[in-house]
Amino acid sequence: MGVGSASQSFSATWGAPLGGLLIGPAFLALAAVMWFGSLEIITPGAPTPLFDKSALTPGGLRPRMDEPPTSLIGGYNQRCNDCHQVFTSRFDPSRPPSQHTHIHFDHGINDSCTNCHARKNRERLILRDGVEIPFNEVATLCQQCHGPVYRDWKRGTHGKTMGSWQMGSPAQRRLVCTECHDPHAPTYAPMVPLPGPNTLHMGERAEVVHQKPERNPLRRWTTPARDADPHPINEEHN
Amino acid sequence: MRLPVVKNQESVHSSASSCGDGCTCSGGANPYTGSTRPGMTRRSFLRRGAAVTGGLAALAASLSPLRDLDGDDIPSVQKFLQKHYKEMSGEEMEEALARIRKEVEKRYDVRPDIRDFKPMDGVEFVYGLNLSRCIGCRKCVHACVAENNQSRDPEIQYIRVLEMPRGSVDIEDGDHSYDRATVPDENHYYMPIQCHQCANPPCVKVCPVEATWQEDDGITVIDYDWCIGCRYCEAACPYWARRFNFAKPTLPKADLNPNMAYLSNRPREKGVMEKCHFCLQRTRQGRLPACLEVCPTGARKFGNILDPQSEVSQILKTKRVFVLKADVGTLPRFFYYFDERDPISDIPLEASSEHAGESA
Amino acid sequence: MKDYLIFLWRCARLSFRGNWKYYTWMFILTAIALLGLNAYTKQLVAGLVTTGMTDQVSWGLYIANFTYLVGVAAAAVMLVIPVYIYKNRELHDLVILGELLAVAAIIMCLLFVTVDLGRPDRFIHLLLRFNFPISMLTWDVLVLNGYLVLNLHICGYLIYCAYHKRQPSKIFYIPFVFLAIGWAITIHTVTAFLYSGLGGRPFWNSAVIAPRFIASAFAAGPAIIILTLQIIRHATQYPVADAALHLLRRIVTVALSINMFLLGSEVFTEFYTGSAHSVSARYLFVGLHGHHALVPWIWSAIFLNTGALFVLLTPLSRRLWILNLACAAMIVGIWIEKGMGLIVPAFIPSPLGEIVEYTPTANEILVCLGIWAFGLLLYTIFVRITVPVLQGHLTADSDSTDIPQQVDAS
Ligand code: SF4
Ligand code: SF4
Repeated sequence: MGVGSASQSFSATWGAPLGGLLIGPAFLALAAVMWFGSLEIITPGAPTPLFDKSALTPGGLRPRMDEPPTSLIGGYNQRCNDCHQVFTSRFDPSRPPSQHTHIHFDHGINDSCTNCHARKNRERLILRDGVEIPFNEVATLCQQCHGPVYRDWKRGTHGKTMGSWQMGSPAQRRLVCTECHDPHAPTYAPMVPLPGPNTLHMGERAEVVHQKPERNPLRRWTTPARDADPHPINEEHN
Repeated sequence: MRLPVVKNQESVHSSASSCGDGCTCSGGANPYTGSTRPGMTRRSFLRRGAAVTGGLAALAASLSPLRDLDGDDIPSVQKFLQKHYKEMSGEEMEEALARIRKEVEKRYDVRPDIRDFKPMDGVEFVYGLNLSRCIGCRKCVHACVAENNQSRDPEIQYIRVLEMPRGSVDIEDGDHSYDRATVPDENHYYMPIQCHQCANPPCVKVCPVEATWQEDDGITVIDYDWCIGCRYCEAACPYWARRFNFAKPTLPKADLNPNMAYLSNRPREKGVMEKCHFCLQRTRQGRLPACLEVCPTGARKFGNILDPQSEVSQILKTKRVFVLKADVGTLPRFFYYFDERDPISDIPLEASSEHAGESA
Repeated sequence: MKDYLIFLWRCARLSFRGNWKYYTWMFILTAIALLGLNAYTKQLVAGLVTTGMTDQVSWGLYIANFTYLVGVAAAAVMLVIPVYIYKNRELHDLVILGELLAVAAIIMCLLFVTVDLGRPDRFIHLLLRFNFPISMLTWDVLVLNGYLVLNLHICGYLIYCAYHKRQPSKIFYIPFVFLAIGWAITIHTVTAFLYSGLGGRPFWNSAVIAPRFIASAFAAGPAIIILTLQIIRHATQYPVADAALHLLRRIVTVALSINMFLLGSEVFTEFYTGSAHSVSARYLFVGLHGHHALVPWIWSAIFLNTGALFVLLTPLSRRLWILNLACAAMIVGIWIEKGMGLIVPAFIPSPLGEIVEYTPTANEILVCLGIWAFGLLLYTIFVRITVPVLQGHLTADSDSTDIPQQVDAS
């Protein structure tokens, strides 16, 4: 059974040219490669783009207004009635107002100041039946038109609650209508979105297919005008 | 059985000496180190030595990247012996918290207020999200990152906001990295997704070491000191809610939120899993999650489903709600709902003059 | 006891002896294994960021290799069953080589799982809080280690008996052999359940995964054994009958046909229904939204497998070199189908519909190669020891210098 070529013993092998001469140096070369080889780490990629941290302030978008605001006129903070006792303005929707021009007014068919502001006492709001209410009861005013929303707000299913999730906790506070909506233009203005995700293979931004038109079930029914101009809101506000 | 063998000169020589008749080496003598034995040639010894040295050097060199191992990555004895969360006694938890406090202080120069908040009695948390209101501003995403000390680089975020084409509720149609000058876009609606805190969580089932479990208030938590990083839970989650620390998480010292809990937003290490925990360091103290408090539209609602007066109970009672992927049987505690009217798509009909504002 | 230690010592010594071919082969394997170790230490330092895996595709090459090797390990029963159940003669002397392959494969499996862990330093947690029987992964840990122990026992016992020129006593190994037969099916079934038990991954959530795993394993495993046996036959004086190879060829043919059938059923179900659940399959076979990294892979796998099947079904494959070609094609084909083709697409698109493709990094590939090299190294050593023992060249009272050398280089 003994086959000569296959029967060299241990030392014979080590005496053979390859085994003896090369293995040691080859291992050393390998060692050198690994020792000096750099610790190549894929950089985790660009961090999230910076954005204005004030965007993350919790709470409503607008200040709470329990009291009517004051205006700085002639170096003094004037209350509403300081002027309006003298000037009884009348609002004609067809003419732009000469005062309060900073107010962007866009409230649908509710297009007259005195629908909400009491004509006789500008520091109060007025209901349809002529009852005057203070500013901090503004929800009562809004609910005259926005019944379902008011109902939801009462239940807590519309609007925003701050402080605590525990019902009845003193820390809990439900924001009122005007802490989120501008009463003169209640629809939300478009917002600049904060940066999108960049977690993907921790380097290059994901090559995500933005539009998958073939998967849009409405494609067949959307009007050509909309198809041609998919981002009307963007362009308006760019 | 002896075999007739043809040997060359040297081999005869050496084999006869190192392993002679009766095989002396079988008694335990080492033929490799028998350098003093007669007959072992100097040359073969040198060669053998070179090979062994080379091999050992290569072995050492192959381990050489360990030079760069971060000291923080080598677990201290205390950490190594630390028990599973559920097995720790009060004292042991205090010790663990003290250790974490020290580690955080060393790394971030901030003394954290870290505690171990337990679930409250009679509380089961549920989240509601109003798809008619969400405008896709991603404030929740970044408020969560800030509150929960997620890694900034590589970036880890718990919430994904999907921009969905109108006419579809299939999340596969969503766009994750929409990048618009302003939102919302009238042809889309927005669907934020985070951990749904399933009542029947597949992620918990699969974890081989029970490093993740569901607490009594419904929050599925992870013991970051117990997770072995197998990522099975990540594969099991149908909502892609879990995030793995592929590298050492980094965040600027100034951005660290020092109010933390053991099971939630304390700084994580590389190689462990993390996920949304409904901000338990806040919610178990009665506060609201960070994503909710920053949401500019009030699309997010959070509360105790066992309290019939709570907002979420009201939502479930009065709104049409749905859960994502109901077919996988996870029983999410995260409900999406709609309003009667959708303010984003409120495009007046030309023919109609009754653009009556907010009425349903 | 002392006797046993001497046996081990002699085995260890024997593994360092061989002719220059043996040394070259062993050197190359050691070098690759060390490079793999080097790559792994890099991964230890930097984290799994050194791999191509992401939160979207959270399992990659490591788990793919693991799955494949579980199959190879399980396939050893394809030698055991004919011998112990059907009393086949040709395979009788080869069984142990198959079982040793299983041992090496299981060790590689365990290594692949270990390198996939984010915190290998916490391995001990598996012992302290073992989520059994809820987590399928714990089942896998149990059955894999159990299978390893079983096979180590069977092989070790038989080899040790041969070393002592003793007739092995049946009671000490026959029950274990039968246990191992059942166990082999179990390891691969449990591994399949690991995937098919996940409701959130429709691509995996299919009852056919387990049978498919077994079928593909019983094709690829014996194919590997066919090649290995021939290498052993060339490199040593160990007798391997052609008849044995042809028996294995028949096993491979049947298993491969079943595998292709199951794959076909799967493809039909996915594509004919065309439901939303088939997106991953569409990604795999035809690409999705302009992403098609895996398409060439799966089609080459299908091409290799059908080619191999075709060859195997014809008399052509009676010629050994053609059989070898077919086996090689099939080994590669099934590796792709089961590894890249089964693990990766389940993650694409992600559960939230995001398409992030997966490409393994060089470091990751090096780690895999290192483990493969280490496994081959182990297997070579096993064979190096076993062959002389079984042939009676290395026995308790023999002189170990006269053992014929063997080379296990291809
Ligand atoms: S959403 Fe995912 S991570 Fe969260 S509980 Fe459910 S399965 Fe687990
Ligand atoms: S990654 Fe951690 S938490 Fe997830 S299954 Fe593995 S050990 Fe459990």
